[in-house]
Amino acid sequence: MDQQTRDDLLKLFQGKLNEAMRFYLETCTRCGVCTEACHVHASMGQVKYIAAYRAEIVRRLYKKYFKGRGKVWPSVGEAKELSEMALDELYDAAYSCTGCRRCMVYCPFGIDTQMLMSIAKLLLVGAESEPEILTLLADTSIEKGKSIELFKENFMEGIKRLEAKVVSKWKMEAGETAIPMDVEGADLLYVALAGAHSIIPAAAIFNAAGENWTLSFFEAVNFGAFVGDPTKSKLILDRIVNEAIRLKVKEVCICECGTAFRVMKQLAGKQPFKVSSITEVHARYIREGRIKLDKNKMDGGVTYHDPCQIARNAGVMDEPRYILKHLTDDYRELTDDPRYNWCCGGGGGLVAMGEDTLDFRMKSSRVKVDQVNATGADILATACENCHAQLDNLNDHYKMGVEVKFLSSMIADALVQDAQP
Amino acid sequence: MSDDIKVDKVFDLKGLPCPMPVVKVSKGIKEVEIGQVIEALSTDPGALSDFPAWARTSGNEILKTEQEDDVIKFYIKRNV
Ligand code: SF4
Ligand code: SF4
Repeated sequence: MDQQTRDDLLKLFQGKLNEAMRFYLETCTRCGVCTEACHVHASMGQVKYIAAYRAEIVRRLYKKYFKGRGKVWPSVGEAKELSEMALDELYDAAYSCTGCRRCMVYCPFGIDTQMLMSIAKLLLVGAESEPEILTLLADTSIEKGKSIELFKENFMEGIKRLEAKVVSKWKMEAGETAIPMDVEGADLLYVALAGAHSIIPAAAIFNAAGENWTLSFFEAVNFGAFVGDPTKSKLILDRIVNEAIRLKVKEVCICECGTAFRVMKQLAGKQPFKVSSITEVHARYIREGRIKLDKNKMDGGVTYHDPCQIARNAGVMDEPRYILKHLTDDYRELTDDPRYNWCCGGGGGLVAMGEDTLDFRMKSSRVKVDQVNATGADILATACENCHAQLDNLNDHYKMGVEVKFLSSMIADALVQDAQP
Repeated sequence: MSDDIKVDKVFDLKGLPCPMPVVKVSKGIKEVEIGQVIEALSTDPGALSDFPAWARTSGNEILKTEQEDDVIKFYIKRNV
């Protein structure tokens, strides 16, 4: 690595060194409490998958370049030169971590390994050594934001074709639009994903609740966050923020996508609208009596996987359980305290990297499989696209014999539309 | 298949979770030679804006898009 590249990377590193990050970098006592907290280590048992070990990869560079040239705490880990080899280690550490933050809730100091891995990811972006596909996906989202006028019409035509399916779940009055788009003054902007499964059930539920809503032109997911590029993250986020401001909505509702929700909730800053996850919105509809659900639609025991970015990292834990109470009498918990729920093993961009990470994702998530199997449930519900894809892969690979379902599609299928007034 | 376009490889991306359609089309296009054409089948309405944005980003070219019932067909020429 030449001097110029190293200097540029160190500048990126320095830009990340806020007070919290310095605390994380300077505090680990190697107590080992986090060792069994990481699903990767618990499933695969290698030292390199211990949370504190991953953090150490970043910390050694910090000691070398930002802390008295490695003279601080000589007994605790060695300072390390930023080199091609160090980049390989950063890659292994960052892209075997899903950013689930389970280690953080165990660590007595609350050290945030995901944040430390964001330094690793940023250095990889700076060195153009990040997973190419994640950058391509982020760039595609940004391009869509720039040229939306070119694609708008086609997209709206595609959406129109879904309307009959929405109506099959919830009948509408003549003249009503099943999937409203570009409605200025709507109360709620729904930000979905590309797939019809992310739009049809949600639309039926909004219509059932009598919501004044409109569908976003953009997809919710933020690949800039997956690849750890704050500039791209912000550009992707701004597309939605600007749309929400243009349409003067009061609420932005993020579909079943954990990263999208966490990024919008935590990074959008102060805005004239509130940010909700679709699970929060659905719980509200039930609480306010705006939708009614039929419990007889569910066959067999149901358990729920908490998406890390929605539950542990954004606090939405009671709402899915409240919804499930209205969907089934046979709900089975995976864990006594959802904050400690195991990660599915698909976060941090790993699912988006597709088959390249499949073997690792399967091996590193054995503890999740054991946890689900122990409930004996027939249906494994979740509220995140990424988790759903990973759980589907686990279900096939380990022959778990469950049906993996989105919470929103379970709600849409249980909607009661009374014939009588 | 579109009458006027010779397709060299077909990719069925129907019903895949996000972001697999774009991931698979990015990898798939490299399985044909520069100048050849792939046909990608999708059921995602979002693909109607995702694929053109991907093509602009990656330097490839969408020759034609057809919507039939639930299925959207993209004819994409590998340019790079
Ligand atoms: S954030 Fe999750 S995946 Fe990463 S080290 Fe901690 S427990 Fe493991
Ligand atoms: S639990 Fe916290 S302090 Fe203890 S080893 Fe892990 S990161 Fe370090």
